[in-house]
Amino acid sequence: MLQSPWSRIGMRNLGRNPKRTILTALGLAIGFFTSVVMVGWTQGLMNEMVDNATGLVGGQIEIHDAEFRPERSLYDTIGGRDGIDVDQVLAQVSDDDRIIAVAPRVYAGGLLSSGDSTVAGMLMGVDPEREVALSRFLDDLTAGRLPQPGRNELVVGTEMARQLESDIGDELVLVASGADGSMGNDLFTLVGTYRTGLVEIDSAFAVLPLEDLQALVVLDESRIHEIAVSTQDPWLAEEVAAAIAATLEGEALGTEVVPWSELNPAIVEYTALVDVFYYVIIVIVFGLAIFGVANTMLMATYERRREFAVMLAIGATPGGVVKSVLYEAAAMGLFSLALGVAITWPVMVWWHNAPPDLTGLVGDIEMMGSVVSLTMQVEYDMGFTTMVAVALMLTSLGSALYPAFRASRVPPADTLSGL
Amino acid sequence: MTPDDMRRDVRTENLWKIYQQASEEVQAVRDVTLTIQPGEFTALAGPSGSGKTTLLNLIGGLTRPTRGQVRVADHELSKLPNHVLARLRLNQIGFVFQAYNLLPVLTARENAEFPMLLQGVSAEERTRRVDELFARTGMEGLEDRRPGKLSGGQQQRVAVVRAVASKPALVLADEPTANLDSASSDALLDLMDELNRDLGVTFVFATHDERVMERSRRLIRMVDGRIDSDVIRVG
Ligand SMILES: Nc1ncnc2c1ncn2[C@@H]1O[C@H](COP(=O)(O)OP(=O)(O)OP(=O)(O)O)[C@@H](O)[C@H]1O
Ligand SMILES: [Mg+2]
Repeated sequence: MLQSPWSRIGMRNLGRNPKRTILTALGLAIGFFTSVVMVGWTQGLMNEMVDNATGLVGGQIEIHDAEFRPERSLYDTIGGRDGIDVDQVLAQVSDDDRIIAVAPRVYAGGLLSSGDSTVAGMLMGVDPEREVALSRFLDDLTAGRLPQPGRNELVVGTEMARQLESDIGDELVLVASGADGSMGNDLFTLVGTYRTGLVEIDSAFAVLPLEDLQALVVLDESRIHEIAVSTQDPWLAEEVAAAIAATLEGEALGTEVVPWSELNPAIVEYTALVDVFYYVIIVIVFGLAIFGVANTMLMATYERRREFAVMLAIGATPGGVVKSVLYEAAAMGLFSLALGVAITWPVMVWWHNAPPDLTGLVGDIEMMGSVVSLTMQVEYDMGFTTMVAVALMLTSLGSALYPAFRASRVPPADTLSGL
Repeated sequence: MTPDDMRRDVRTENLWKIYQQASEEVQAVRDVTLTIQPGEFTALAGPSGSGKTTLLNLIGGLTRPTRGQVRVADHELSKLPNHVLARLRLNQIGFVFQAYNLLPVLTARENAEFPMLLQGVSAEERTRRVDELFARTGMEGLEDRRPGKLSGGQQQRVAVVRAVASKPALVLADEPTANLDSASSDALLDLMDELNRDLGVTFVFATHDERVMERSRRLIRMVDGRIDSDVIRVG
């Protein structure tokens, strides 16, 4: 037998009105479920947003000539007019376990026309093999295939194809000003289309092999504008960028290494805002729950005031009575938590591994220069889940404070004579 | 009387309890001076509203007097802060109420051990005392039952065991037999009589019950909050 009777009394009192106990616990358990799932889901969306912002087209890190941004001038290639040994620098940059892929890119503004239609676009020269490993927008083409070097082939976004009224196999005229001041133009074959869901990309980016674009705009093969880098985790980007910058320092190429968080600060701010929103969820959910639980506890302790009077009469201190009620609340909290975990865990596992797809209902959502497709994809967050568990326990204990105080103040003589 | 007994007696001196009821005041206890010696078996009788319960509560430290003093085990109760009073009730006073004395979530044994647990009596000693008292009271075999599974008479016996087991200076019982049939009342009285004679436990009852009065060895009659008569009877 325990040395203190309070925990025993508290826990057994919980079993006295099983229906009421289960209802109350269910309320808290649903609060737990709501908080954990809502936050898990929001995090899923945030992850997808960050993922798409960094993985769809851009990389998580971009390496440019220090002068390249923001004008993105054709002349500001890495290493200046002399360029670099592209393969060697790529090898040097990718020498880090946290890096998944690196890819060289050349950019040039240009005009694309077909028949009567002409659109202005950004011509993007890529190494198709490296690009597929790095970004995702070329992974699943909506039609056709990737362009092959030396054959004047290109792919464009679906929106651009629509504006040009062109299909796979059609010829497009590309016009762009060359680095030597000349006007380059050539005939290219449309071999594929891609779709990111971001209109500003899908309507503007034409992708062709690096060397074909270099030939069109008269740049040496040593001259590229960008090296894009992808890492295992978007949140590693700043660290890895710093490491790359340190590596390249020795080469004295005058480069700048920019993580995505610097390129798209809005997303970083937005995720910080959403982090605050998690606390708001906890406060709202458990702030509501506290009234329900307090009401139940008040009822339960009121019904038992004669018992508290007996305890106090035969020598229990008010502190002892408070303890018995708080033990009851703690037991209620643990029971609710167990119930909460029992209903939350299977749903989290299910929605993490096989999220129900809501894209049919609302389609893709563009936000912060990224795109998310609405699924019930949830992410686990042990830290946050622990916090919700703590909030639940505090709610249960907090709800019991006033009832416990009331119980300890029951006047024994009057209560017992009011038979 | 040994010096130890001196300390264990209970005295009230010019004790008053006045309740303020709206505009009128109720003098529930009026100028009661009384000494109860260790080992007494005293009945407090009187019509309803005569102040029996109020006097017991004053002696037991559950109610504070309006005027006058109560001394229990050498402590002047009216001067003690609440937590000390709680401690004193725990160590010096046993209570038996009319009904619903027991905590329903505890077994008979746990109920009986409750004050000893708060006193810090060792598990071994608690078990020994409860076993002995349960054997005396014919409660063997019922130790693990909860109050809901005991008859009214059995519940009152557990309450008496609980009151006695913590070795208080006196046990105050407010109409302990009021809810019992006559057979159960007699059995409970036999039990208290026996505990009084064998162990020297001091009992003070408030009662309407003729049988209780007959078996008491001192009979105090109250009328309108005053002591009307105080008779030592030969037992
Ligand atoms: N808390 C209280 N507030 C106001 N008046 C009270 C209070 N307690 C008791 N009284 C009054 O004090 C008087 C004495 O009551 P008490 O309960 O002591 O009588 P009693 O002799 O025990 O009666 P009974 O035999 O009915 O139990 C009564 O008039 C009662 O109404
Ligand atoms: Mg009474």
